[in-house]
Amino acid sequence: MTARIIDGTQIAAQIRAEVTDRVVALTDEGVQPGLAAVVVGDDKPSHIYVGAKRKACADAGIYSEKVELPAFVTEAELLAAIRRLNRDPQIHGIIVQLPLPGHLSELATQRAIDPGKDVDGLHPTNVGLMVRGDPSFPPATPYGIVEMLLRSGVEIDGAEVVVVGYGPLVGAPLSILLAQDHVRGRATVTICHVHTRDLAAQTRRADILVAAAGVPRMITADMVRPGATVVDVGVHRISDRLVGDVDFASVQEVAGAITPVPGGVGPMTVAMLLVNTVTAAEGSVFRS
Amino acid sequence: MSPVVARIIDGKAIAAQIREDVAARVKALDARGIRPGLAAVLVGDHEASKIYVGAKQKACAEAGIHSERVDLPADVTESRVLDIIDRLNEDPHISGIIVQLPVPDHISEFTVQGAISPAKDVDGLNPANVGSLARGRPAFFPATPYGIVELLVRSGIEIPGSDVVIVGRGDLVGMPLAIMLAQRSDRANATVTLCHTRTKDLAAHTRRADILVAATGIARMITADMVKPGVTVIDVGINREPDGLVGDVDFGPVSEVAGAITPVPGGVGPMTVAMLLENTLEAAERGAGAA
Repeated sequence: MTARIIDGTQIAAQIRAEVTDRVVALTDEGVQPGLAAVVVGDDKPSHIYVGAKRKACADAGIYSEKVELPAFVTEAELLAAIRRLNRDPQIHGIIVQLPLPGHLSELATQRAIDPGKDVDGLHPTNVGLMVRGDPSFPPATPYGIVEMLLRSGVEIDGAEVVVVGYGPLVGAPLSILLAQDHVRGRATVTICHVHTRDLAAQTRRADILVAAAGVPRMITADMVRPGATVVDVGVHRISDRLVGDVDFASVQEVAGAITPVPGGVGPMTVAMLLVNTVTAAEGSVFRS
Repeated sequence: MSPVVARIIDGKAIAAQIREDVAARVKALDARGIRPGLAAVLVGDHEASKIYVGAKQKACAEAGIHSERVDLPADVTESRVLDIIDRLNEDPHISGIIVQLPVPDHISEFTVQGAISPAKDVDGLNPANVGSLARGRPAFFPATPYGIVELLVRSGIEIPGSDVVIVGRGDLVGMPLAIMLAQRSDRANATVTLCHTRTKDLAAHTRRADILVAATGIARMITADMVKPGVTVIDVGINREPDGLVGDVDFGPVSEVAGAITPVPGGVGPMTVAMLLENTLEAAERGAGAA
């Protein structure tokens, strides 16, 4: 039996259509949502990702700007640029494309963004509100994974979720989000990582298995329970092909549902960024 | 055959050790003309809250830490509470500020906790601090989870690589403890499972645990059949019953199966107070208020 493919591209398109409707309503009120993307240096994938995000903005009617800074920018200069965007009334959402060059602190940069414009949801205050069960902007990738599961009819409430990888962008916030007492949560969540003694014993328990380890094809068929839903967060370029953290070919013979790479989690991240941006703009209209 | 009885993890003794260490460091600071100070804000006439704050102030006094209690009427406005926190933020004699929970419904816990200066947030509950905790870089560890980690480390319980099962996802203990124990650190690196009321087969999880933490607020809900022989059991619950204080763990029978266990009272409770002192001292050492 072959697993059902969870089509992230299609679900993301649906969400983007919904965003477009909300943008039209806002524009009728005289407010066009605006996103600023800060890119430091010449990292090629970063520029490609930001290009995709800006195109998605344009498709949804969201205004966007790219602020390019040289690789040798000082942290003070970077923070000043962010503060400028914080004060800019045309800009409702600000993202800083990661990774940053080694001399810049990612945490300090995320902290400088106005939490009300933090549409990547990575500001400590937003992460903290999420831990406390009251998120304003859930981080885009975890938020996208949860939306994808819900819209695919995968039951999260009461499910056994095993998350492999405890990174600050996906694994950690996703674990928090899924355990919350909330329609998007109520799962029993197990967090695994390199120090986990018997990883396969954990992954084989999972109703929903999330691979966010950053290791190509590390989740193999023998690690998956028949019928499990498998979400693959990894993106690796191997001899000119994109592959995930899951050994797709073998795992799809065992799993009940699986996200492909590309076309799974990736498009959802972009879609949720748009959702957060339009939400931020709605908030600014509501406040004024 | 007489039953094997678990080693008792004596929170009182370990807390006393920590408090002695804090007292010694307070003396050292005193020699530099700096005295740590804690302000506790108490809203309304909650009896239990008064007892908790009283215990914290007594512990401060014993460690040489200055403490103040700000009592506010139950109908005080939120903006008045925020004004008071602002003044405490500015006060050079105050290195740490706590707002005793619960606060009345017309006051937002988040807003009030968010108003405490991060440098003085010794309960570690300011949302920004909790967020930094999730990134592994908090200004202060929340007192109760911090106390639990100290208990484990000082009792020689191996955390890295262990299977930790936490029952209860509250935002004061279960959730932040899960975040801390999964982190990349010699005091963490555990495989953590967070269970709660929606967990399908709780006993299957608790029986897997090397370290089992009960933080549900339900008296004696963890029974002997739910634990693996040799497990370390941490009981966070404090439930008042006709026959006294009991935890979330059915202590008698579980102590015949577990390898080590914390009692109630005298387990996690004293550690929470000790870690509050530790955080207050730490704040003063970093220069909060003492500038």
